This record gives sequence, C-alpha cells and structure tokens, in this order.
Amino acid sequence: MKKLDFTHSRAQRLYDDYLKRISRMARQLPEADQQELLMEFNSHIYEGIQAHPEAGELETLVDVLDHLGAPEEVLKPLVADKKLAQATRTFHPVHIAKALALNLSNGLIYFVFSLLYLFLFAGVFMIGAKLFNPEEVGMYTSNGSFVLLGKVSSETLAQTGYEEILGPAFIPVILGAMVLFYIIITLLLKLKQRLKRR
Amino acid sequence: MHDEFVQKWTSQVKKGTLSFILLQLLQGKEQYGYELMTAMQQKTNIQLAEGTLYPLMNRLKKEGLVDAKWVEQESGIPRKYYHLTPAGEATLKAMKEYWNQLNAAIDNLS
Repeated sequence: MKKLDFTHSRAQRLYDDYLKRISRMARQLPEADQQELLMEFNSHIYEGIQAHPEAGELETLVDVLDHLGAPEEVLKPLVADKKLAQATRTFHPVHIAKALALNLSNGLIYFVFSLLYLFLFAGVFMIGAKLFNPEEVGMYTSNGSFVLLGKVSSETLAQTGYEEILGPAFIPVILGAMVLFYIIITLLLKLKQRLKRR
Repeated sequence: MHDEFVQKWTSQVKKGTLSFILLQLLQGKEQYGYELMTAMQQKTNIQLAEGTLYPLMNRLKKEGLVDAKWVEQESGIPRKYYHLTPAGEATLKAMKEYWNQLNAAIDNLS
C-alpha cells in the first residue's frame, strides 16, 4: 500500500499513529482483510485531505481523523464479526476463543457458548483422573443401566457392585466425545451466525 | 417535551435507515467511500463517525447487496468503488415499497 507523505512532521506522526491503531485493531483478521481495511481508510484520509485544499495540512488531517473516529470504536463490530466467521470456518480453537472474547458484549448467547466450550474441559479432567487413578475412574453401570461417569471410591464399588464398562477404551472414548461435542458446539455457533445475518 | 426520548428515538431511526440510505445513494451510480459519506451528509444531514461506514459497507457486501472494486488513480492511492448488485437493486425496491407504505400509514394516523 502506498502511504501518504506529509511535509509537517507532526502530521506525519499523527497519520502513522492512526494507521498503526487500525493495524492493531485488525491484527486478528486474515491478512487480506487487514490490507483491505488499511487501504480503505488510507484512501478515505487521502480523499478527505484532497477535498479541502485551502486549509493547512495538519489542520485538515486532524479534522479528517476526527471525523473518521477512533479505530478502536468504529472497527470493533467488524473485527468481532469477521473473527467469528473465521473461527467457525476454520474450527480453530484459538480463533474460537478470541472470537468469543470479542463478542462477549454482543449478547448473552456468546457467554453461553463460552460455557459450553469450557464444559469440554471436564473431559480433560476425567482423562487426567483416569491416568492417576485408573481403578476408581470410569463409566459405571448397575444391572445394565448407566449410573455415572467419573470417580467412584473402591469402597462404594465394593458395596454397590457397580461395573466399569469402558476399561482401556475410557480415554479414547472421552477424547472422541470431546471432539464430537466440540464439532457440535461449533456447528451451533455457525448456525447462530447464519441466522443473525438473515 | 421529553427531549431525551426524542433524541434516542431519532438515533435509533437513523441507525435503522442507514443501510437503506446507503443503498439509495448507490442507485444508478457507483461511488467510493469518501464520496458516499459526503453525499450522505449533504443530502440527509446525518452525522456519524465516518469510520463506521466501512464496517457497514462490509456487511452489505457480505449480504450480497453491494459489490466493490479497487480502481487505480493517478495519485497512486486507489479508490474502492461500491455498486449495487442485482440482489441489492431488488432489496432496495422492496425497502422502498415498505417505506412508502409505512409513510402513508403514518400520514393517515395524524
């Protein structure tokens, strides 16, 4: 992108700083979107200055930037929206975490989604528990019907006769369930996005 | 008079009609961002942080109502020209119809 040149050093600093603020805001977006935003704001600043040739350079620039508004304010909805689109397209957990954080102020539903994702950590804890305590952690049934998933003390086991049914498959099954839930939650998030656009 | 109420209401109406106004301005004429913003301010007297125009145009583009292309300029600073897509034309027509209906209905009330 061709940057603007100012004769006044203060104007140059002000301009450079403004572009930097846009870049900082847009950093979370795909590279092409970042470039697009910068180019569009750059063009707006250029046209704004050209439209007022009578006034001084610094004065006009201050005025143009003032009218554009703070990048942190005006770009927030766009960044939040684009990040969410990227997150549900890629299924990338880091993108999803960032997208949810950016959208938390846009409605309770994003808080609910965050909780759903956090719920997945229950699986991590269970796998951890299984590794440390293989005898007392598992999926238990009694007389063929499901009782609980988690930790049961060996005394209770002896008293109740609960049966652990997954055995060595416990960790793979929990991992599989986590992946499945992750995909389902993300598909729901994607659906939510699509409905919002209608 | 409840000035504050009127003010809030006015800003809601502006927000709600912004995309309608932008689509109208693009009717029959492609325009670049700064031009579009200037036209809107001159014709409607709506003032807003100009930077919000771009997220809004981006949404309209994602909805398929407008499209845009970069056009190189002698200055080396290209302009991004927006124009209505056929879907945008149809949407604008539907919006106008509703707007006229609403206007007529409100006129009938008073």
